[in-house]
Amino acid sequence: MDYKFPDNLKYTTSHEWVKIEEDIARVGITDYAQHQLGDIVFIQLPDLGTSVEKETSVGEIESVKAVGDLIMPLSGQIISINENLADSPELVNSSPFEEGWILEVKFSNYDEVNSLLSVNKYKELVQSEEK
Amino acid sequence: MAKQEVQDVKKTPLYDIHVKLGARMVEFAGFYMPVQYESIIKEHKAVRSNAGVFDITHMGEFLFEGRDVISFLQYIMINDLNLLEPSKGQYSIMCYKNGTVVDDLVYYEETPERFRMIVNASNREKDLEWLNDHIGNHDVKITNLSDERCRLAFQGSNADELLQPLIDVDLSKINRFYFAHCNLNNTPIFIARTGYTGERGFEISFENKYAEKIWNDLTNTGASPTGLGARDSLRLEACYSLYGHEISDSITPIEAGLNWLAKPKEDIDYIGKEILLNQKSKGTERIIIGLNLIERGIIRENYKIFKDGQEIGYVTSGGYSPTLDKTIGLGLVQSQYSEVGTELEIEIRGKLLKGIIVPIPFYRNV
Repeated sequence: MDYKFPDNLKYTTSHEWVKIEEDIARVGITDYAQHQLGDIVFIQLPDLGTSVEKETSVGEIESVKAVGDLIMPLSGQIISINENLADSPELVNSSPFEEGWILEVKFSNYDEVNSLLSVNKYKELVQSEEK
Repeated sequence: MAKQEVQDVKKTPLYDIHVKLGARMVEFAGFYMPVQYESIIKEHKAVRSNAGVFDITHMGEFLFEGRDVISFLQYIMINDLNLLEPSKGQYSIMCYKNGTVVDDLVYYEETPERFRMIVNASNREKDLEWLNDHIGNHDVKITNLSDERCRLAFQGSNADELLQPLIDVDLSKINRFYFAHCNLNNTPIFIARTGYTGERGFEISFENKYAEKIWNDLTNTGASPTGLGARDSLRLEACYSLYGHEISDSITPIEAGLNWLAKPKEDIDYIGKEILLNQKSKGTERIIIGLNLIERGIIRENYKIFKDGQEIGYVTSGGYSPTLDKTIGLGLVQSQYSEVGTELEIEIRGKLLKGIIVPIPFYRNV
């Protein structure tokens, strides 16, 4: 399979992507992850303002066949969620890196950013899972 | 999700075609089968709005021959074979003595001494053993045709219109559950007006060597290749029981709401009769009901169902309905809480979400 791997993003081993702009991180799931889940029909997200810890599950992504966790790549406070996903969860399938972004978190621990995967490391991970 | 080549998992004659079409292949009932080609929702909607082609070769196909085929099946099956005639098929169930289910299936009367039967993929071996074990003195020979023939379903609101130009008999003369032997673009097939989607359509069977040709002929009509994912979501909307879910070796057909199947005939003895007729007249402690979720979320099999904090049953099948754009499910609950309109709660990963019992089926267009 040919998946998209934008090289301006950071990644996690649980298949989230992270876009860092100053102290705000936008988070979604990768093209590979949405392919694995198939048609997404419902996304359960935390409330705005919730404080979240890195590597904990903060949401559930339900597809027709499966359910996946949304794992936080960074600790911080949720300052924005993608309201469009309530009525159009399929945006995560059709545009995982753009219109299908899921939430934004304000973070303060830059060490956590450094522990995220580069695009090349993430590609290697996907290739090994595909085998 | 590392893929492991499991030994002795079988491939249908269409395996290479599925892979070429980009299908996601999964192991199901001992076969590599396509769960989806591109999107379960798209395939589901294509069947409702046009037509889909399904590879169902993993299912079992048996031939019954002999003078006692009818009396044998009358003893094994809970449905009444007196309702049958040559060129007609019948949905039925074979039960254990305690009324729980060995399998549900369809058999077709070619002649009074020759029947064809299609059974669930996961029960092929078990069924053959069960059938052979009960032949006794009956003059019946069972031949397993499963591995030498290929089975496809052609289902959809436009199934008749799309298929007719390829077939050398008048499809409008084949009523529901009837069948014919005919040709599809000069290739000999068995065709029955049966299906598992709640939509109009046919199921066909033919020799393996024609698999690729017939698959291409059928998809060239504009019908979409459709995987097991949509097969399941379509049957759930139509509320057709799935073995291991609504019926199983621990659930009886009466509990599953299939009362109409169990023949009441005084003069016909069959396996499970005593318990089934008793349940039919007195009712059962548990019953299958239809569910909608009032709050947002998706319910799936084995989620627990509660009423006022007390556990009353579980979800047997659940998911998203592409046709209705909402969450639907079937559940096995205590009968005193089975009335339509009853509000209850379903536990979804530790949270209780509100649901309501609704009339079933959710959708049928046959």
